[in-house]
Amino acid sequence: MLLFIPTLLGLTVIVFVLIHIGGTNKLLAMYLSPRLTGAARQQIIAELDQKFHFNDPIYIQYFYWLAQIFQGNWGITNTPIFSGPVTQAIELFFPNTLMLTIFAAILIWLISIPLGVHTAVNRDKPSDNVIRVGSLTFYAMPWYLIGIILIIIFAVWLKILPINGTVNPSLVADLSWYHNGISYPTHILLIDALIHGNLVVAGNAFLHLIMPSVTLALGVMAALVRLMRGTMLETLDQDFVNFARAKGVPEKVVINLHAKNNALLPVITNFGYLVAGLLGGVVVIEDVFSYPGIGMWLTDAMINNDMGGIMGGTLLFGIILVVTSLALDLIYAKIDPRIRY
Amino acid sequence: MSKSNAKPDRFRELKLSLQVFFSNKSAVAGLIIFLFYFFDALILQFFPQILPFKHPYQLTPNYANPIPQPPSFKHPFGTTYPGVDLLNAIIKSIRLDFWLSLEIVIPGAIIGLVVGIIATYFGGWIDEVLMRVTDIVFSIPYLVLAIAIGYVLGRTLQSMMIALILVWWPLYARYARSVTLETKELTFIEAARAAGTSNLKIMFKHILPNSLPPVFVQISLDLGTIMLTISALAFIGFLPAANLPELGYLTSLGYNYIQTAPWAMIIPGLFIVLFALAVNLMGDGFRDVIDPRRRSEL
Repeated sequence: MLLFIPTLLGLTVIVFVLIHIGGTNKLLAMYLSPRLTGAARQQIIAELDQKFHFNDPIYIQYFYWLAQIFQGNWGITNTPIFSGPVTQAIELFFPNTLMLTIFAAILIWLISIPLGVHTAVNRDKPSDNVIRVGSLTFYAMPWYLIGIILIIIFAVWLKILPINGTVNPSLVADLSWYHNGISYPTHILLIDALIHGNLVVAGNAFLHLIMPSVTLALGVMAALVRLMRGTMLETLDQDFVNFARAKGVPEKVVINLHAKNNALLPVITNFGYLVAGLLGGVVVIEDVFSYPGIGMWLTDAMINNDMGGIMGGTLLFGIILVVTSLALDLIYAKIDPRIRY
Repeated sequence: MSKSNAKPDRFRELKLSLQVFFSNKSAVAGLIIFLFYFFDALILQFFPQILPFKHPYQLTPNYANPIPQPPSFKHPFGTTYPGVDLLNAIIKSIRLDFWLSLEIVIPGAIIGLVVGIIATYFGGWIDEVLMRVTDIVFSIPYLVLAIAIGYVLGRTLQSMMIALILVWWPLYARYARSVTLETKELTFIEAARAAGTSNLKIMFKHILPNSLPPVFVQISLDLGTIMLTISALAFIGFLPAANLPELGYLTSLGYNYIQTAPWAMIIPGLFIVLFALAVNLMGDGFRDVIDPRRRSEL
């Protein structure tokens, strides 16, 4: 249980190593003007070395760095979509990503569990085969391709959903709470519009949210349907299910109450992988739909070789995953009486 | 058991394995598709002169006609920006993707197996430390970690390979661990130890073969996942070098023409899906082969 602390520290060590492995010259480059040469340049380098403790042993530097991380100084990022402190970028982009993943997670939960149960109960019937082939196909598809196919169908052919961004720019042109592509106070356009009572903008923002979240859901859902089907099949074979049937409990109750709840346990333990899948997915999907979240910022940072963005994103995603898996462990201990910490 | 008895036994085992595998029709279909990709990769890698390509290892753009053309008699799959014939490009791309996937999954599996077996066999603090390290690597989504490693090493094909190997081994370490935990308590390991066999020999001669079958299944499944990861990385712009025949990069070439030329994205994408699907079906077939319940049914 408390093992999450060494995992978190290990995570910071990895990020620290990744930052420093390229040598200090790479780190200093962003503080030095390329036109500065000769003795003046040497002097600035010496001053910066002093300032950033580059003359100390590397393990001492790690603690200086960690202290800064704890104080909320995550460095600076400089990409076309945002330049400024990393923490500010996270503050602006993370709410959007959170909205997207929560929306997708709800979709996944609502659709994949019933589908998994349905396929297991109707094993080897046509509907089972169709769902199995479908989920396998989505499982074998790159995330961006799912997004592209949705774009081609719903935006290019049917023209009912917008292709990219979070809102139609003409709708938000002269709103007091929206400027420079940032909405206030929560930075999530949909929620802000609801707070300010602007239903037109809210509706438009919701339309923009549909395709990215459905793409994310479809990409991650396939694995969950397969998992749910497998555990459900195993559970349906067990003695207590047969006993419940023999007792005369209606089949519907056996499936939905006795079997389903037990089959859900292994699915919940694997929920951590699901969150990892979601976080990996947003990197690609936000890029496809130009959805301004952490993923788009991260790919932008990658293309521009921006260290602040890449390392900030890596550390953030790592922390989220570690904390989620801790939370899942706690939930699991709560619902499974066999597990005690 | 004498040697002469062992041989027919092995033969019967193999025959049974093949029977189980070939009774699963979708696995056979997967194998056939996989073999197509394999021979494509093999021919282009070792005998490129068979095929009429001037440049077998790079895309051949035609700047005279850069706009994507629909499928026609001259270009069966159409062309993509900048005037690249998709059929040729896909044949070339499969070579790169196929070998890259193998080059990632096999070193990854070997590192993972060695780490997992050593950790579990010795137990104690070695186990604790090595498993903590795998946990830490697991705690970063692999796409993100690959981007971070790509920043450090420079974004090239080589560094993509190294990044993905570094990301991929922890999974195998966990597999090896779960198998070794079971195996190391068995009597034949105890007997080997009593007979004075060295630790190294026990680990790699007695424990390793037992953990190989599930690892082969996982390798087969992972070939698809790695192909998807490579293509996703190439799509978001990990590889700045243009002209590289890579399926993900090919799809990204058509991105700006999505409204007028959907085939430029869908056709290369289809070949990624086909490969991932094939290795998944094949992996399920291999899983049946090593599953004792399935074996006894025949």
